[in-house]
Amino acid sequence: MQRLRYYLRIYFLIETQYIKSKMQYRDDFIISGIGMVFSSLTTIAVFWVLLASIPDLAGWNFDQLVFIYAFYMLAISPFQILFDHFWQLRFHVIEGTFIKYYFRPLNMMFYYVSEMFDIKGVVQFVLGIAMFIYASIRLGVVWNLPQVLLLLVTMISAALVTISIMVIAACTSFWIYNSYPVLDLARRLREFSPYPMTIFDGFFKLMFTYIIPIGFVAFYPAQIFLNTGSNSTAVYLSPLIGAATFALAYWVWMKGVNGYTGTGS
Amino acid sequence: MALIEIEHLSKHFKLLNRREGLKGAFLDLFSGNYRTVKAVDDISFSIDEGEIVGYIGPNGAGKSTTIKMMTGILQPTEGKILINGIEPYSNRISNARRMGVVFGQRTQLWWDLPVIESFKILKEIYAVDDQTYRQQMALFEDLIGLKKLYPVQVRTMSLGQRMLCDIAASFLHQPKVVFLDEPTIGLDVSVKARIRDVIRELNRTQNITIILTTHDLGDIEALCQRIIIIDKGKLLFDGPVQRVNQLFGVYRTFKAQIFDYNDTTLDRLKALVQDRFADPDAVHVEENENFWTDIIINQEKAPLREVLNLVMSKFELEDIRIVEISMENVVQKIYDGALL
Repeated sequence: MQRLRYYLRIYFLIETQYIKSKMQYRDDFIISGIGMVFSSLTTIAVFWVLLASIPDLAGWNFDQLVFIYAFYMLAISPFQILFDHFWQLRFHVIEGTFIKYYFRPLNMMFYYVSEMFDIKGVVQFVLGIAMFIYASIRLGVVWNLPQVLLLLVTMISAALVTISIMVIAACTSFWIYNSYPVLDLARRLREFSPYPMTIFDGFFKLMFTYIIPIGFVAFYPAQIFLNTGSNSTAVYLSPLIGAATFALAYWVWMKGVNGYTGTGS
Repeated sequence: MALIEIEHLSKHFKLLNRREGLKGAFLDLFSGNYRTVKAVDDISFSIDEGEIVGYIGPNGAGKSTTIKMMTGILQPTEGKILINGIEPYSNRISNARRMGVVFGQRTQLWWDLPVIESFKILKEIYAVDDQTYRQQMALFEDLIGLKKLYPVQVRTMSLGQRMLCDIAASFLHQPKVVFLDEPTIGLDVSVKARIRDVIRELNRTQNITIILTTHDLGDIEALCQRIIIIDKGKLLFDGPVQRVNQLFGVYRTFKAQIFDYNDTTLDRLKALVQDRFADPDAVHVEENENFWTDIIINQEKAPLREVLNLVMSKFELEDIRIVEISMENVVQKIYDGALL
């Protein structure tokens, strides 16, 4: 508990400084904020047009699909905000700058994560909330306390799944020279997650449910709130899958960290 | 008990024997043909509290591998390291709490933040109490005038300023040992001198052990009482700096670019100096690249002035330089038995 307080204090200290310093580059902050609004809006627009032109997708109507998509946007925001620099891990590993993370008396993943706070991700998060509220109202989803708690648990699990998949992909840079294709593949796979898993055939459905569990980023957990009455058992596995994938990601990270030899001086 | 104890330490890396060409590269994909490289090979030494030890050797000698083992990044293949009674690799965090590190050009301060914020963050990370913090910051103000740098972002600092801040930061939590890797690399002479003064003062006032790796013999001369030299992973010398000082203190390399250089020039030059200085260790001539010739002079046996006059009386020189002996030459001299 004391350890947790220690880490939280350091985390908030570093993050507030970071945000403060980021805001000092006012132009950059405003422009990238606007950029993120537009890029999120275009993605949403494409999705919107696509769905609006078909009456339903594998039995899911437009509002339900928006709900799932909003869930997806919220679930990927923590990665975007806190872990986005895992894309850069490969440069630290190749150039040897990664060794500095060994020198502080801190958990190394914590130290690495503490150096990131992407404000653009916050924009995405806010848009996600707006869509989520819109879809909830249209679908008449009831938000009482148990539902909200359930939402928090499933949302955190979903976020952990996205984070874990990207962390594992990034950690391949400890063993291979160019991990970009792996990260890129992971991102592309992740982009399947706002679609109903039922549109995929057997093989992909199995893979997205049990092997690379992107089904748990949005589709399965979102169903809990949609009351479709056809929830498969996979839906309730969500928290378990979140914890398990993160444990696996942390294990892979530690493997990489413990075997890293750095570059010659 | 000594602060740092290293016994029969070795680190081996397994490397794939690569074959040539595209076909070779393809075959390598399935090859189990590894060779073992002994980056550090059976090294033992111990270091007491408060010492400044120069840990030196040519490139690829195994210096940074040893440092990486002492800082807990690498696991030794054989042998053991104890720092403060702790084994660094399996106790990285507790070891890190009592250690400071400055790694050459790479700062560990928070790049985008004003430097004072880095110190505040470090205060929290190392749980430095308020009184110690104030006292250390006052000391840094005395030594490097830190206060005027407080609002400066680390990324906008000059290399010298940043290095001073990095060094100060590594001493903030009063660690038991600080590792300084090439602290003066790339800096001009006056800044080098300043950094050496700061390091010396910090060591003196805080009684903190310092392990210094450097290529700059000036750093060694200015700071170390003791040096450990390694080469090809093996311990070559461990002792007081004075003994080695004689080695690099008396030698000078007179570099000359001789006008109208041809095939016979080198032989004529060799004959000329041998004629005057019979002792083979007094003056040694060797060819260098781009028509430069190195004349390595032992000043105890051959006064620099005499050698210069002799050479200039017989040869026309386009350009000259006089430099101190290099690390590689020191190591070579030791191999040749200079310290025996």
